[in-house]
Amino acid sequence: MNRMTAFTAAALIAAHGTATAAVPEDVIKASFYPYADGAPQHEGYTPGMHVSADNVDQIKDILDPFTYRYVKQGWYEFDTTETFPMTLHPNYIEATRQYGDQVTLSDQGVIENFRAGRPFPQEPDPDDPWAGTKLMWNFQRSINAGDSETIYPFWWTFRNANTGKTERQIRFHWHFLNWKHRTIFEPENIEPNPGEIFRSIYSTVLEPFDLANTQLLIYRYENDLQRDDGWLYLGFQRRVRRLASGQITDAFLGTDAMIEDFEGYNGRISDYNWKYAGTQYILMPYEKHNEQKVLDSEPAGDRDGFRFIAFGGKGNCFPQVTWQLRKAYIIEGSPKDPNHPLSKRLIYQDAETATLPLVVLYDKKGDPWKYFPICKTHSDYHLPVNKGKGVALDDCALFFDEQAMHCTTLQFKSSINAEDNRPNIFTVQQMRKKGR
Amino acid sequence: MNKKSHNAHGAVVVATGLLLALATLPAQAVWYSDDGSIELRGFIDSSTYARDGVGLSKQRIQGQLEFFKDFRPSGGLFSELSLGGVLRLSYDAVYDLNDDEYGKKAGGPRNFPAPGNPAFFAALNGGAPPFPDAPTNPQYAGAFGPESLGANGAIPLPGTGGSIASPGNPNDGLRFAAEDLYGYGDGGTVLATPVRPCNIDSRGCIKDYMDRDLDELRFREITDDLDWLRELYLNATIPLKGGQHELAFRIGRQQVVWGRTDLFRVLDVVNPIDFGRQNIYAEFEDSRIPQGIVNIEYRFGATRLFEDINVQLLYKFERFRPHDLGQGGEPYAVLGAGNLFRALKNCYDNGCTVWNFPVTGTAVDFPAGSIGIRDVRIPDGEEFGARIEGVFKGVGFSLNALYFYSQFPSLRGGIPVKNPFAPPGGAPGDPRFYPYNFGFDIEFPRLLMFGGSADWYWDRAKTSFRVEMSYTQDEEFADTLSPRLFSKSDVYRWVVGFDRPTFIPFLNKTRAFLISGQVFGQHLLDHRTSSTNSAGLPSLGGDLGFQDHESNIFLTLLIQGNYLNDRLTPTLLAAYDTEAEAGVVGPSVEFKPSNHWYFKLGLNLKWTSGGPPVADDNRTANIFPPATCAPPLAAAGSPLCNAPYSSLGLEGFEPLGRFRAGPIGTAAREDELQFIVRYQF
Repeated sequence: MNRMTAFTAAALIAAHGTATAAVPEDVIKASFYPYADGAPQHEGYTPGMHVSADNVDQIKDILDPFTYRYVKQGWYEFDTTETFPMTLHPNYIEATRQYGDQVTLSDQGVIENFRAGRPFPQEPDPDDPWAGTKLMWNFQRSINAGDSETIYPFWWTFRNANTGKTERQIRFHWHFLNWKHRTIFEPENIEPNPGEIFRSIYSTVLEPFDLANTQLLIYRYENDLQRDDGWLYLGFQRRVRRLASGQITDAFLGTDAMIEDFEGYNGRISDYNWKYAGTQYILMPYEKHNEQKVLDSEPAGDRDGFRFIAFGGKGNCFPQVTWQLRKAYIIEGSPKDPNHPLSKRLIYQDAETATLPLVVLYDKKGDPWKYFPICKTHSDYHLPVNKGKGVALDDCALFFDEQAMHCTTLQFKSSINAEDNRPNIFTVQQMRKKGR
Repeated sequence: MNKKSHNAHGAVVVATGLLLALATLPAQAVWYSDDGSIELRGFIDSSTYARDGVGLSKQRIQGQLEFFKDFRPSGGLFSELSLGGVLRLSYDAVYDLNDDEYGKKAGGPRNFPAPGNPAFFAALNGGAPPFPDAPTNPQYAGAFGPESLGANGAIPLPGTGGSIASPGNPNDGLRFAAEDLYGYGDGGTVLATPVRPCNIDSRGCIKDYMDRDLDELRFREITDDLDWLRELYLNATIPLKGGQHELAFRIGRQQVVWGRTDLFRVLDVVNPIDFGRQNIYAEFEDSRIPQGIVNIEYRFGATRLFEDINVQLLYKFERFRPHDLGQGGEPYAVLGAGNLFRALKNCYDNGCTVWNFPVTGTAVDFPAGSIGIRDVRIPDGEEFGARIEGVFKGVGFSLNALYFYSQFPSLRGGIPVKNPFAPPGGAPGDPRFYPYNFGFDIEFPRLLMFGGSADWYWDRAKTSFRVEMSYTQDEEFADTLSPRLFSKSDVYRWVVGFDRPTFIPFLNKTRAFLISGQVFGQHLLDHRTSSTNSAGLPSLGGDLGFQDHESNIFLTLLIQGNYLNDRLTPTLLAAYDTEAEAGVVGPSVEFKPSNHWYFKLGLNLKWTSGGPPVADDNRTANIFPPATCAPPLAAAGSPLCNAPYSSLGLEGFEPLGRFRAGPIGTAAREDELQFIVRYQF
């Protein structure tokens, strides 16, 4: 600290020449402090209870249908914990306070007049046809990765869900960088940025040998109608290859995930029709990493003593983390592209953080296909570098293909920092530089 | 079993045992030092290739170790300082297991019918043939004489002074230079080439170019150039302007990859290629020959105009290395050039028999020093490159320039030789330059290449595209109208490619297939041909002049699917040479059951439409007037016989048809079944 000084309320106010908070405080409170007046409760649910096939029916109403089925089948059991707030970084909240009433949507559902913070902090209106779209904009402009995040090590493990056998394991190093609308790290907008990039993702495969040195670079542009650009460096070719967008909706390096799935949803907002389908209190995998009862034995020898979230249950596919009852917005996404492999992306968005901890996917026929929970840890209960960052930090994830009975489990060591994510590593040339 | 074969079997057994032993080990990942600054990874694999009609064409055990050390500078001048490298060793047992094809027993004597010999001998002697029982089964390097005396063979030209056969140049260990390519039905010129490793048979070996001995063939990386040290380079980055810009160096033996194209080398010409290592159209990463290069980049990163822009300068400090085309007798030799060169080198050094020379159905012995390859001249000048690369409005682009030496050889005629039709010792003034003669030095001409590339994504087609083009000055090509049998031409090359992930639901409902296609064009801008020769005489066959195609188009198609979470990968790769009308299709399946094991089973099948292409073979040139004057002109007492003139255009596959056949057509008889098993860590 304090990298956030430039984005204090005073700086924001000075920049706009007004001292008047634009968004009413009750809206801010409802949006960012939903548990200020107490944790949600549900009959039959007691925080701390162990959820299993024996008792799942009594809490069916606070489970998404996929989780309920898996628990009911005996594939998954988990502990629960008290609901605790994951209050976002004060700069982000302050930016919302200042600019949250200015933001509008174009006729095409594209965000306009946005500067920083949560674009639409107001409660979703069921009568608003754009309510689902606004919630997805809240996600896309959230601090899901805190302006600048590094995940290393980051292990993706292929597992046979029937046998539990580990088939392959890809070890990554990932970087995320928001180029614009930053609130945690200086500057607010990284310049120069002639392409008007909103966000970049850059990743490198470290293992196994046949994929080692594969690198992925994705540019998401500020203009949501502009198609993402992507490049892939293939180690066995030692060459950068332009990605076709079809590869965004195809299995990524053989995992059970598509590039579009990253972080819950990694496409353009305009690629889907989004429908707000209600608000619900629901159990979601929010936890405090350092307080988990069981952690994996890997990564062995980590210099910070860090241990991954462990996996267990059916096929060793399910994250062994605590869940808690939280307020969620339900969003149904329908891809506009008729050739898209999905018919529906059903999202449970965490109301407090606007992140996407529970996503379920339906195939083109409308049958349940994939289950995608993302564990989120409070950033104060993780690595010291993350303390005070005010981010619901990615901690583990599961891509479970229930049709193929196959899963890919993701184990993260995330850190919110600016040092590892200099803008010039998010370039095509970086891929050549790094390439071996 | 001989000792070498025994050793080979032993090596294979040991390697197989090692692979099996590795299978029992616990999963080993990349090895990192405790502080994480050193990493080691690598593999050991076994490649078994079987060729139709030949048997084993590769049985290679190979190990590769890649290492990287990050010095992690904190503060100071550098933001990055690291050392990287790749070590590789291999042993190809094919030279022992199939030694009658590729090893010390390869080749043998070569015989061929020459019914025209009596008439030609009569012509040489100005009268009737001296022998009533004309030979019909002349042998390579045989002595022409009465069969009743047991001395049948080719006609020794006067300059041989007798038989060229000698203990140093026996009719053994030979193959026709293109006998693995076609059946010699075209009546064209035929040469024989020694094919045994150079320590077994040194004939035709070209020092410092194509002179591998048996161990250098078996252990391909054990060379004077230390090819086992495949890569070793130091990376250093100096941050500038607060880290927004970077000045970066990579110094050492390395691969520098330019361009965006698969399979074709339009801009990717910084490093030469080892074509002797594997079959055509495999990944270049393994076949590029890394070289010592100073690679300097100034990275601007994002600027006001570009999302990314950088400038690269290259300087090669390691000695020039041409492509390794594979020497005579190797299983993989692009265009069959290694065989041709070895045959020609033997001709120059020891003399040789040439079949169907000067006309179909005859065979003559040329003395040493009259035709063939005299020497190779490896250039020692400087090579430089520069590139600007960046991204502008989402379009990746590059502008490239390279001042270098051709990695393909040029056969430059014009060397001084002895007239083989003159008595031993040559004609007065010999040795001297005889226009249109087959006497060459191998040289690697200086070239200047400009080019550029771009890639972009077109959303409406859901397809990414790439284009690449280059313009190279002063490449050299065979030209039968030129007194030195070569001419320069500027060359324009281009390629347009696309990648489109496409769902094919009846094959895979959940995973798209990658469909990737490319069109490659090559145009010789100074190409020239003529229907009349240098004396104004009409061609008796095809066009005279350049024998390479003026323009050519290649097509490639890749269809790749994935099953079992990309652990099972079927691929279909096809390429087609439109001028040669030759194609290759390579279906394969890769299986990766775990992080450590990799299996690949593939076929490599080629086909051609029609027979092998023929080209002006220059045998009808009046190289040594008047002895080589066309018989009708000689009979008519034409004054044209008294001066050299260029070819009259009789055609055959050898030697220049191979350039028309291209890399696919010349490999048309090399259908293979390929199996690779690899343990990687």
